[in-house]
Amino acid sequence: MKTNTLSTDVELAKTDPRIKLITAKIKKENYKPDALIEILHTAQNAYGYLPMSVLKFITKALHLPPSRVYSTVTFYHFFSLKSKGEHTCLVCTGTACYVKGAQLILNEIEKQFALKPGQVTADNKLGVSVARCIGACGLAPAVVLDEEVHAKVSAEEIVNSINAKIAV
Amino acid sequence: MPKISVTIDDKKLDVDVGKTILEICKESGIEILTMCHLKGLTDVGACRLCLVEIEGINKLLSACTTKIAANMIIRTKTEKIKRYQRITSELFFAERNHVCSVCVANGKCDLQKLGYKTEMDHIRYPYLFPECNVDTSHPWYVLDHNRCIMCTRCVRACGEVEGAHNWNVMNRGYQVRVISDFDTPWGESVTCTSCGKCVHACPTGAIWPKAIVQGQLEKKPEIIAELIEKRKMNL
Repeated sequence: MKTNTLSTDVELAKTDPRIKLITAKIKKENYKPDALIEILHTAQNAYGYLPMSVLKFITKALHLPPSRVYSTVTFYHFFSLKSKGEHTCLVCTGTACYVKGAQLILNEIEKQFALKPGQVTADNKLGVSVARCIGACGLAPAVVLDEEVHAKVSAEEIVNSINAKIAV
Repeated sequence: MPKISVTIDDKKLDVDVGKTILEICKESGIEILTMCHLKGLTDVGACRLCLVEIEGINKLLSACTTKIAANMIIRTKTEKIKRYQRITSELFFAERNHVCSVCVANGKCDLQKLGYKTEMDHIRYPYLFPECNVDTSHPWYVLDHNRCIMCTRCVRACGEVEGAHNWNVMNRGYQVRVISDFDTPWGESVTCTSCGKCVHACPTGAIWPKAIVQGQLEKKPEIIAELIEKRKMNL
């Protein structure tokens, strides 16, 4: 009935150069189980999210119960189990941006790319999310495209910038 | 062992130091409602049913996690506490889909008994009706999230007594769920030893052995404490 799923996934992950980064972090932390959150941070930064094979790798390396790792990952909003997409588009829906037409931008994005906030395209190229005020109300409506703030944008402009990003 | 004197419900008591308020009350026959407490497991103060009033402290403190101190004046049965206990039990029932009439634990359920104890006749809060799974993948046992009250007794029994750490809690807020391993079906868990301690630790009908019909569930939560005692003995 029980098969050890942990071993197969670890082999798969070893061919990945990003796993070396995680291994280095685990060694630096002396394989301490209490360093789980720091190690998950490294993994999340390397991959952009936490794939199951990586979680299994960390679980095995730290000799932690799988349920402990999973509960930690799901508790903190910083960690994500799903890919956020190669390119991310964060639309601010704070009060100022909303008044200046953030919803129109979201509607246009939904029309053009068939994406609602929180979704990622099938080819994993683009992910759309919303935030409650990014602290740039003077630039309303603001959109953050791959950590780059686009200020006072119109729906058309942002769609064009996204298309330019995806085309590359 | 040094003794200190405390007052609980206007009764003067000489008690041992280092114990929790709940332990002292149990020893002196003062009834305190509990749900997440199980003898033998670490207390976590999750259910908020054992709240007591302590003179000089503004907020209510959980009896299971508060150590007794000298000259404490504790009250366990004030109107305020009774009101809070009633609210807590109503919230328990409103959170998930508890239907006693179809439950295996009907008549033997700690949650049901709590409802009677707090004289709960209706629920003043809107029901959440969350979508909950029933995990029947284990060959012997079933986990029904609808009946789970998140007391985490199974989590602690598995980790502290069995040492398997199969269970834990995922997500937060009203989305919390008890999970085995990476939220894998219980039957596919690599850590579960199928020992059945979680089945006995569960106060409701959330975890039960298969082939049990409505109202026929027999649980022995006291075996957890007995096991720990037996392990201490040099046989």
